[in-house]
Amino acid sequence: MTPFRSLFCLLLLLPLLVACGSEPTTAPPPPALEATDSTGLEDGVDRAQLASELYFYNWGDFIDMDTLAQFEAEYGVRVIYDLYDSNEDMIAQVRTGNSGYDIVVPSDYAVQMLIEEGLLQPLELERLDNLRHIDPDYLNTYFDPGNRYSVPYMFGLTGIVYNREFFPEGVESWAALFDPAQLEAIRGRFSMLDDERETPGAALKYLGYSYNTTEPEALQQAQELLITQKPFLAAYNSADVNRKMASGEYVIAHSWSGSAMQARLGLEGEFSGNPAINFVIPQEGGAIWMDNLAILSESANAYTAHVFINFLLRPEIAAQNADYVGYITPNEAAIPLMSEEVQALYAAGFAPDDALLTRLEWIERTEATAVFSDLWTVVKGE
Amino acid sequence: MIKSLPAGAQAPPATSQQRQHGWLRRALSGYALLVYAFLYLPIVVLVVFSFTRDEFGVRWTGFTLEWYIRLFNNPRLMGAAVNSLVVGLISTFVATLLGTLIALAMERYRFRGRSGVDGLLYLPIVMPEIVMAVALLAFLALVFDLINALTGQMLRRSLVTVTIGHIAFSISFVAVVVRASLKGFDRRIEEAAADLGANSWQIFWRITFPLILPGIIGGGLLAFTLSLDDFIISLFLSGPGTSLLPVEVYNRVRRAITPEINAISTIMLLLSITLVVLSQLAQRRR
Amino acid sequence: MLEQTHARRDRRNLIALLTPGMLWLLLFFALPLVIILLYSFMTNGPRGAVIWQPTLENYRTLFTQTIYVNAYMRSIRISLETTLICLLLGYPLALFIVRQPAHWRTFLLFLVLIPFWTNFLVRIYAWQIILANNGIINTGLGALGFAPMPLLNTEGATLLGLVYGELPFMVLPLYAALARFDFTLLEAAADLGANRWQAFWRIMVPQTMPGIVAGSVLVFIPTLGQFVVAELLGGAKVDYLGNLIQRLFLRSNPVNWPLGSALAVAMMIILLALIFWYFRVTREEQR
Repeated sequence: MTPFRSLFCLLLLLPLLVACGSEPTTAPPPPALEATDSTGLEDGVDRAQLASELYFYNWGDFIDMDTLAQFEAEYGVRVIYDLYDSNEDMIAQVRTGNSGYDIVVPSDYAVQMLIEEGLLQPLELERLDNLRHIDPDYLNTYFDPGNRYSVPYMFGLTGIVYNREFFPEGVESWAALFDPAQLEAIRGRFSMLDDERETPGAALKYLGYSYNTTEPEALQQAQELLITQKPFLAAYNSADVNRKMASGEYVIAHSWSGSAMQARLGLEGEFSGNPAINFVIPQEGGAIWMDNLAILSESANAYTAHVFINFLLRPEIAAQNADYVGYITPNEAAIPLMSEEVQALYAAGFAPDDALLTRLEWIERTEATAVFSDLWTVVKGE
Repeated sequence: MIKSLPAGAQAPPATSQQRQHGWLRRALSGYALLVYAFLYLPIVVLVVFSFTRDEFGVRWTGFTLEWYIRLFNNPRLMGAAVNSLVVGLISTFVATLLGTLIALAMERYRFRGRSGVDGLLYLPIVMPEIVMAVALLAFLALVFDLINALTGQMLRRSLVTVTIGHIAFSISFVAVVVRASLKGFDRRIEEAAADLGANSWQIFWRITFPLILPGIIGGGLLAFTLSLDDFIISLFLSGPGTSLLPVEVYNRVRRAITPEINAISTIMLLLSITLVVLSQLAQRRR
Repeated sequence: MLEQTHARRDRRNLIALLTPGMLWLLLFFALPLVIILLYSFMTNGPRGAVIWQPTLENYRTLFTQTIYVNAYMRSIRISLETTLICLLLGYPLALFIVRQPAHWRTFLLFLVLIPFWTNFLVRIYAWQIILANNGIINTGLGALGFAPMPLLNTEGATLLGLVYGELPFMVLPLYAALARFDFTLLEAAADLGANRWQAFWRIMVPQTMPGIVAGSVLVFIPTLGQFVVAELLGGAKVDYLGNLIQRLFLRSNPVNWPLGSALAVAMMIILLALIFWYFRVTREEQR
């Protein structure tokens, strides 16, 4: 019997051992504040009003962690950072009104949902003086007129990422992902986003409809198209397309622009890029979306949250983050500060120009678009 | 008689049967070996590729310790690993205790409402984890609101709530395994002990407990494994900044995984293996 | 008189044994569950809010729309396959372990568990490394001059991942049952003229039935609600019940908690019926 008991003792000892070993890795104490008089406010921030911690809930791979360290060093506020994978996951967490987070990064339609449910607090725009750097095209959007609750953080496009070694001629049309004649050659080597709006939307675009159409006839055609495509497909994947494209596991995929950029340039500290990767918005059109910074109603640290958002809107910080994640910053002043490599790719179609903008559509969510859930369930159920 | 029984139940009866069916034993050993190979193939891959230079972790492009160095400089992953172990051990301890007690009650007593208890005991196993997670989340929100209304105190999800959730689903698993070891337990041994003047406390510790200990250990290990492995409930019940290892890993596996994940898995494995070796050494010394 | 104190002591013991665990389950499991049960009879509002307006609509959707019926069938089929394979792999393994000398047994049991002390998602990811287009097997095949074949993102890969993930939950209860099995009974059977096969089927299997049942239940059930394996090894191409529930609760837009709850409740009822039937069978066999 006793060996079992000793085993249990060992089991109980385990966390002590581990806990001892990890003690040195706890966060360093916040740096001593500058000796400036707190009423001096040479940068407009009253340090006496800052909270000691700020809870930031963001998408994965969506910020350069170094910028958080910079914020900590500058203001003595520790940023506690958690990740989510979809707007719906995030909303499920914050809907309780007691998630513990101060700042979230909802996409366009999710901003709308959060506002309607009273989960966001109004911003005090006068505290966000760096908002002047944002391209006015991306302010005052349909989902938050007047930016009362949110400011843009990053935006991106949805199109096709492909490997030029496999497609030396390039890719121009959604047909590359939907035309059965072209699919045989890439069987098991391409993915579509696992998303009930993006993927049926891509099919609709190929068929010449809008992302937001809810006409039964159009939806029926899109559904059939997706079912025809399915046997050729490797996976529905919206998670690691970047990695699978860079490693050569996929040769083409339905993808977000930043994910494509990450496959091209690599993700610092994660993997290196593949120069043969290119991204294109098909001639039939693609989608555009925007992720935004917003403060939750439940947050008691609104002052600190405003300081943090204003910090993220600084051109040099926005440039650093955009360089890192590969999505597109709406911060006009930031773009010249970015790496030339990324700027070149922006110009090469990873970011929209005026001509491209006309081919892009926002995906809107209304009560009528609930039909996409059913369509997607049918496609997945085949 | 009484004293020799627990020992007798532990040691396998070596019989002539074993010698007679040598080929059967060999076939069984061979089969077991294959099953072990199946179990360890991914693990070997995981460990080997924690040393590869390839950033995607799928090809062997040379030896490096870089991922381990990165790992130790990654307070997020390390913190999550410690959180996981703490939650796992606490919830295993509580769930094993409560689950064993329930199992004893269920196997030893006939009482009104027994089948109701039975049902309640099996429900957590039947329940898809995601439903349990959402249900607990909704429930906690209600409780927190109530506490807030009564005391003005705003509670928040934390490691405590995760542990509560882990215990809630582990109790049933422990109870199932312990009950399996109690079934067919020959009560006459206990009766004989009572006849010989043992009190019920002695009977439990000297007879019942040793006999069901494999079941309890099995249940405890199961609970620990489940807790370390649990992802969905951990995701929903942990508070800000206190994520557990599976949640942290999920965030990475789904996005850009690197051999760092292999590295931390290798370290967790080493810890487990050390545990086994130490236990074997301790056993041999006795 | 003595009878009475005995009964009273029994009662006290019973309450002491039962109360702590049951309180925990009632408070942190049953009560939250009641909320979900109520949800399954409610109306789904716009934007995914639950409206407290009783309806049977969710259950009607569930039993009349083929996509849901198909998801049920598909899930039950793959869960049965998983359970069966786990049993075929697990029983001989448990038997092998039990037949070893005592000090080896703990060790061998631990060997079964060690792989599972790494994270579940990591193990699935390891299978990705093995099965991918540019993974180990296909690289090996290529080196030998064979054409690579799609292994990942197939139903076979899903099944493999499920079996791999659930195997220890089969082995542990089987081990617990076999550890108590009196192997001299086999000898006795042989003496009475039974061949090995008969001895196995007529004595060993019935005697270890509680372990088989416990193991099967422990494997079948999580498999039925599983969704991550289908996502990571099956390529998220086919919906199992778990995927549907997950999507209805979290991912679809708007979410539909009432329908998701109904799906879960219906699934639960099927499983409960199965378990009650199972235990009735084994209980009768034991008599």
